[in-house]
Amino acid sequence: MEFSFTQDQIELRDGVRAFLDGTHGPEVLRRLDAEGGRDPAIWRSLVEMGLTGLIVPEAQGGLGLGLIEAVLVAVELGRADVSEPIVDTALVAPRLIADEARLAAIAVGELKVALAHRVNPWVADADQAGLVLGGAATGERLESADPLRRLFAVERADADPAMLDLSALTAAAQLVGASERMLALATDYAKDREQFGQPIGAFQAIKHHLASVAVALEFARPVLWRAAWALDHGHARAPVHVSHAKLAATDAAMQAAETAIQVHGAMGYTYEVDLHYWMKRAWALAGTWGDRAFHLRRLDAAVIDGAMAIGPDQTFETGMQHG
Amino acid sequence: MDLLYTPEQQAFRAEVRAWMEAHVPKEPLPTLEGRVGFDAHVAWERTLASGNWGMVTWPEVYGGRGLDLIRWLIFEEEYYRAGAPLRANQNGIFLLGPTIMEFGTDEQKARFLTPMANGEVMWAQAWSEPNAGSDMAAIRSRAVREGDDYVISGQKTWSSRAAFADWGFGLFRTDPESKRHKGLSFILVPLDAPGVTIRPIRQLHGETGFAEIFFDEVRVPAANRIAGEGEGWNVAMATAGFERGLMLRSPARFQAAAKRLVELYREREADASPAAREAVVKAWAEAEAYALNTYKVASTVMAGGKIGAEASLNKIFWSELDRALHRTAMSLMGAAAELKAVGGRVNQWLEGYIFSLSGPIYAGSNEIQRNIVAERLLGLPRLGAG
Ligand SMILES: Cc1cc2nc3c(=O)[nH]c(=O)nc-3n(C[C@H](O)[C@H](O)[C@H](O)COP(=O)(O)OP(=O)(O)OC[C@H]3O[C@@H](n4cnc5c(N)ncnc54)[C@H](O)[C@@H]3O)c2cc1C
Repeated sequence: MEFSFTQDQIELRDGVRAFLDGTHGPEVLRRLDAEGGRDPAIWRSLVEMGLTGLIVPEAQGGLGLGLIEAVLVAVELGRADVSEPIVDTALVAPRLIADEARLAAIAVGELKVALAHRVNPWVADADQAGLVLGGAATGERLESADPLRRLFAVERADADPAMLDLSALTAAAQLVGASERMLALATDYAKDREQFGQPIGAFQAIKHHLASVAVALEFARPVLWRAAWALDHGHARAPVHVSHAKLAATDAAMQAAETAIQVHGAMGYTYEVDLHYWMKRAWALAGTWGDRAFHLRRLDAAVIDGAMAIGPDQTFETGMQHG
Repeated sequence: MDLLYTPEQQAFRAEVRAWMEAHVPKEPLPTLEGRVGFDAHVAWERTLASGNWGMVTWPEVYGGRGLDLIRWLIFEEEYYRAGAPLRANQNGIFLLGPTIMEFGTDEQKARFLTPMANGEVMWAQAWSEPNAGSDMAAIRSRAVREGDDYVISGQKTWSSRAAFADWGFGLFRTDPESKRHKGLSFILVPLDAPGVTIRPIRQLHGETGFAEIFFDEVRVPAANRIAGEGEGWNVAMATAGFERGLMLRSPARFQAAAKRLVELYREREADASPAAREAVVKAWAEAEAYALNTYKVASTVMAGGKIGAEASLNKIFWSELDRALHRTAMSLMGAAAELKAVGGRVNQWLEGYIFSLSGPIYAGSNEIQRNIVAERLLGLPRLGAG
């Protein structure tokens, strides 16, 4: 029993964070928003960073890493608000594809994948994708509240449970990353903005709002990690753990978003501050790959209807053990 | 990350389970907050000690088993799974014990730890004063040095189970000229010493769960001081960290309560609202999140990491979870919620709900904890500091 990250995992996370901090700041989001598209240069930089090969098996030119690493990276992509179809292509699709040539094409960044699924009425970035997994999209574009999202109507969508769980997991991770960024933005703003001759962050009402977000986030993270570990190991309860993670991350993100706009005051209600990009991404991720009601039902069916053993000795799968 | 128990950990779990099954009282004990219940709980402490389970993480020389934190978590899971009673000596084993381990001399360790682990000496925490609650640095009770002794005068209040405890650990002003955090010392006082008067205070539930302690020229040896004279504040802050952090509120306790809540929901489902169903699942999910976080923190500590202001995140989370969990149970019980006993058994939900209301107040109120999180973890400024 060991609930922490390896040095390699920490270095991967820190490396991705430092890279995205340097290349993908709010000015990039503004530019993409104005230009209304995707930027091949950003895609190339993500490929050079090695992200497209992260979980592709080594035999197909990838690094063959697991879902813990995928989740750590997805948190960073959420924190940077990266909109390229990198999560779907690199962190989900390789686990759903057997075709070696396609896996190899993903690893080198040549194949972008979009994901169609019955719980989602739309497909993101279908026009960019060389492959729409799980269904087909039409060319009809829909506008999202999130200006950096590109959604397309669906012609046909399957209900692959593996796609759903992987995507709900990585959506939860991005929500955690977005929440971290929103908390940081609001905290920085509270240190700067002065009213009544004080930084507003000196007032307890503001402090307590932000501290509550920190609490919600702190306790969403380990839920996410357990879900990643369980899904990676084919744990019988993994889908329930994923639903738990999606719920915890969604609730933390909605709280972070509402708190952050409140702390920003009227500035928060403008297009001029950076906050709104992350807030809108959080709204989008909250509803996609199973909304609150969907995951609550999966959780409550397991917990209340008794499909899942619960109680103090049941935190981890006790049926599985070493040796 | 490896979320599987090793065979050794599984074997340990089986050992605890077997012992608990053989020894945990079949009927719940009367509440710890009254004389009869307290004595019954002390008897249970001694039974635990007879099995060498008093404080499993302590070194063997002090009556422990020298186990790591993961094993402590497994122990606690089995403890609550078996429905074992709350610890009568929680102030001793979870707060003062770790403090003595960190700051005490070898003599103090030898003298105080073993009787604590064995349930022979029960401890009360004597920090708060009538005008020093949240503002603990305002304490006025003083200890005047006379030769090898301190002479203590003043008043403490809201000291949990002080009416039944044997000893108290308190903060006293040893430098009469000092202000605020300076000039305080952390001193241990036998509560049967001449000059000590205890006045029980009736709590919300009607029991005398805490008390005022009056000190009238109480003489104690200077050897009862933990750490240096005037260093009491830092010692007390370390103790407060134990209180908010890992030890006092093991997650198994909330998981056991969440499991009972699910059972209550199943009994009451016909009358329950969809909102109640969601609240039940949410309470379960948060108890689970708390457990996961504790395993995470335990792994960090075992790898040499430290817990600082994060303990405040923890304290806010468990206390608000506990309150929500019991509030949900109360609403599920409907009209029966107000009854002190249901079907001949004490109404554990009512008792638990009342107790849960104190969680956001004691161990540093949640308002104070949120200030700590905001200032120390998020780096926000203090009011008027600019
Ligand atoms: C069940 C129970 C057991 C206890 N056991 C013990 C014990 O064993 N030993 C012991 O020493 N003490 C004990 N206490 C006392 C406890 O530590 C104090 O009650 C606590 O520190 C709060 O102090 P207070 O009650 O004086 O409240 P106050 O300090 O008067 O606070 C009242 C309200 O004002 C808020 N407030 C105060 N200052 C601030 C601020 N700066 N910013 C924002 N809000 C603020 C508080 O959060 C609270 O909501 C116990 C209390 C309870 C309820």
